[in-house]
Amino acid sequence: MESGGDNVTILKTLKHNEEISVASTVESIHYHDVLIIGGGLTGLRAAFQVSNSGLSGALISKVHPLRSHSVAAQGGMNASLGNVPGDDDASDDWKMHAYDTVKGSDYLADQDAVEKMCLEAIATVYELEHMGTVWSRLENGKIAQRPFGGAGFPRTCYAADRTGHNALHTLYEQVLNKNFPIYEEFFVTSLVKDKGRCIGCTAIEIMTGKIHGFISKAVLMATGGFGRVFNRSTNALINTGDGLTLALNVGVPLKDMEFVQFHPTTLYGTNILMSEGARGEGGILINSQGERFMEKYAPNSVDLAPRDVVARSIEQEIREGRGFDGGYVHLDLTHLGSDRIMERLPGIRQIAMDFAGVDPIEEPIPIQPGQHYSMGGIDADINGATMLPGLYAAGECACISVHGANRLGGNSLLETLVFGRLVADKIIDYINQTPEPDIQAVQLAINDIESKIKEVMGRKKSANIFSVKDEMTETMFQKFGIFRDGQTMEKGLKEILNMENKFSHLTIDNKNLAVNQTLVQFLEIEGMLKIAEVVARCAIKREESRGSHTRTDHPDRDDENYLKHTLIELDDKNLNISYKPVTIGMFEPKERVY
Amino acid sequence: MKLKVYRYHKNMENPRYDTFELELKPGLTVLGALFQFQQNFDDSIAFHYSCRGAVCGTCAMLINKVPRLACRTQVESLLNGDLKIPLSFYPAIEENVDWNPKEEVLVEPLPHLPVIKDLIVDMDKFFDYYKEIEPVFKPADSTPKKERLMDPESIPELELYTNCILCAACFGSCPVDGNDPEYLGPAALAKLYRFYIDPREANGIERIKTADMPRGWWDCKFHGNCRRVCPKDVPPLIAIAKAREQLEKEGEER
Ligand SMILES: Cc1cc2nc3c(=O)[nH]c(=O)nc-3n(C[C@H](O)[C@H](O)[C@H](O)COP(=O)(O)OP(=O)(O)OC[C@H]3O[C@@H](n4cnc5c(N)ncnc54)[C@H](O)[C@@H]3O)c2cc1C
Ligand code: SF4
Ligand code: FES
Repeated sequence: MESGGDNVTILKTLKHNEEISVASTVESIHYHDVLIIGGGLTGLRAAFQVSNSGLSGALISKVHPLRSHSVAAQGGMNASLGNVPGDDDASDDWKMHAYDTVKGSDYLADQDAVEKMCLEAIATVYELEHMGTVWSRLENGKIAQRPFGGAGFPRTCYAADRTGHNALHTLYEQVLNKNFPIYEEFFVTSLVKDKGRCIGCTAIEIMTGKIHGFISKAVLMATGGFGRVFNRSTNALINTGDGLTLALNVGVPLKDMEFVQFHPTTLYGTNILMSEGARGEGGILINSQGERFMEKYAPNSVDLAPRDVVARSIEQEIREGRGFDGGYVHLDLTHLGSDRIMERLPGIRQIAMDFAGVDPIEEPIPIQPGQHYSMGGIDADINGATMLPGLYAAGECACISVHGANRLGGNSLLETLVFGRLVADKIIDYINQTPEPDIQAVQLAINDIESKIKEVMGRKKSANIFSVKDEMTETMFQKFGIFRDGQTMEKGLKEILNMENKFSHLTIDNKNLAVNQTLVQFLEIEGMLKIAEVVARCAIKREESRGSHTRTDHPDRDDENYLKHTLIELDDKNLNISYKPVTIGMFEPKERVY
Repeated sequence: MKLKVYRYHKNMENPRYDTFELELKPGLTVLGALFQFQQNFDDSIAFHYSCRGAVCGTCAMLINKVPRLACRTQVESLLNGDLKIPLSFYPAIEENVDWNPKEEVLVEPLPHLPVIKDLIVDMDKFFDYYKEIEPVFKPADSTPKKERLMDPESIPELELYTNCILCAACFGSCPVDGNDPEYLGPAALAKLYRFYIDPREANGIERIKTADMPRGWWDCKFHGNCRRVCPKDVPPLIAIAKAREQLEKEGEER
């Protein structure tokens, strides 16, 4: 079914160069059984599954799938293959993996979901191998594994330090080979809800500016994280968390949004990631006094303690005056020697040379902590189902809750592929028992987006949208960063609310709809402001320290009051917070010592 | 410093160049300069971006007449003249624009692909050729229970080719692609070679026969621009030379 839709016409006046009126007609409404929004690892893995099921599906992505953020993942993917023995020749198994994950999460992860992920991990790594990924290898020909932070075994499988690149290219090859339809450079603008279920979405085709409607029986959100809400971030510039705003706007709650991971080692200046693999291979952290300061904070794991612990330690060193001018410390790899660096960490070396003019073979790398990962996301159950029938979520945009309050390195690539597949299977089941959706709601949704764009374009220019974005990212890093406290956060929330208010009167200069990247950014920033508010509200309410959420005014974990997930939802114009219990399984909460 | 930017959209008869002055700060990349252009000068400018870390391959463009990644290219180094790359000549890099490389950076769209708007080109042809070489793993045996073993010694050569980020810088630098729009180009051929040398595949010579045609392996004139501009040090030239050698050897044997 492919229908032409109504010929709704929007008339726009171009302010640029000359006055031209551009007529943009609604091109089409497309029908597919399943829509996958996002072309990163999660979206592509789900597409592969849907394609195998014989259902009609399509993938929508605001960038070409290969440009998705997944491509940037460096260090690797965890699975208890047991290819490399641990201390005392012990052998790894999925339960140890689950234990490390739950402990790393500061006991906030849902243990049923963690168990599932760790059990499926092994087959998932093999599957990528079977699809052609060139994993790094051991002498005996098996997939190589390296130690990673917070893990009891060398469990992280890797393809040099370009694991995401290799995995994403492999999956793209597989999906392309199936001729799975991909709507490339389509920016999704809303989800469509009708009679209590999700039946599609609307999107701007960026290159033409046309608005399209998509009808489906189910929608999978695979839109990635919201890292760019913070100004020091390792994330791609496109990680603006759109999927979360889309979900909020149809009344679907977000979960655990206060938990934002700060990676300890990002390149000073650009905050490009210097993978944990660098420490996994033996890199050490040194302050301006030449001290290996992690010995003080984590006597057992030292430089390989989990990310939250190391990030806090670095930040503390800097705050107490033991950093270098400008606010950084050193990641020293020089003792590893050039062979090892060239073989295991060639990408890191290249980045350090290109972006900081430093060759890690010769000198230490200047690093500081930066935002890295969004643990929170769209509230989804172990099957990826949200509160809204027909709407599913997986990958970094979702909070199925395998990472709880702090994610372990190497568990996120794993999550994308495990849940990309499992959730697609659930969707396939759901679709087989779901009636046809109604086209009318999608048509109305298109009208809504058109009026909205028209309204924005018609506003009078009063300030620059990009400066509001800079203010927001600065407030988020300074007031909701590694160390938080109630008073500062209250101030930060006020600032964010003012910015939201200010933003609601802003417009952009470019009124032409075709290839209007500023319009896309306008919509992204609008959503990011909402997410900033969400993070702020959830962080203020959680009066304890757990995982990545560190409150100087409430330094201890408080299981009695806060061993629970935060939910936040948009009800009309208000954000309401509630809580729900954590699923505990094999592992009872204990104090977390490294 | 100044940024001199190629501007074009389909309602314009001819492209024009806009010049924008900005402060040179350490660490400023061409991509960073383009964002300043967008934010402070003209928000209708169009260019591709995503990772800003030279890994996603979306921001290749012609910078000072050399195809490069905008996010990886440091403005200061350009102005100092440190990033000169001598290229075998082709029309798109002709010095036909007035610009002073000591204080200006010239930014134009990647050659050999149709311009959609400003610095955005239509990559369809590049990806069509990529698709044509059937870039999907074709294993020799049925799926084993665990991983297929691979000699670690075989990995470095494979990585030379798997490192390709499909940015098309090579495509925009290849004089042959400029001349013969049907030529598959360096990236597609390098990708095909990657599958051919994968020890887990067993199609042998059949694999490279996919491009055993004039517009495939045989069109290359070994100008070598592809290798010089590649941000990931992929050597399509070597792949092409070796594939030809294999095909020639087989021809003789038959
Ligand atoms: C630098 C870096 C290194 C990392 N290294 C590792 C590692 O070594 N190991 C590990 O386990 N994890 C790592 N991670 C985390 C991991 O890479 C990510 O969590 C994971 O790749 C997310 O995948 P995804 O499929 O959920 O989303 P993404 O890959 O981010 O894809 C999101 C997709 O959604 C699309 N999209 C978003 N909004 C819209 C919209 N409005 N309309 C249409 N499409 C939209 C985008 O186009 C994109 O295709 C790293 C992260 C970073 C930042
Ligand atoms: S071979 Fe190099 S230049 Fe060509 S597409 Fe690949 S990464 Fe880009
Ligand atoms: S923005 Fe990704 S390669 Fe330049």
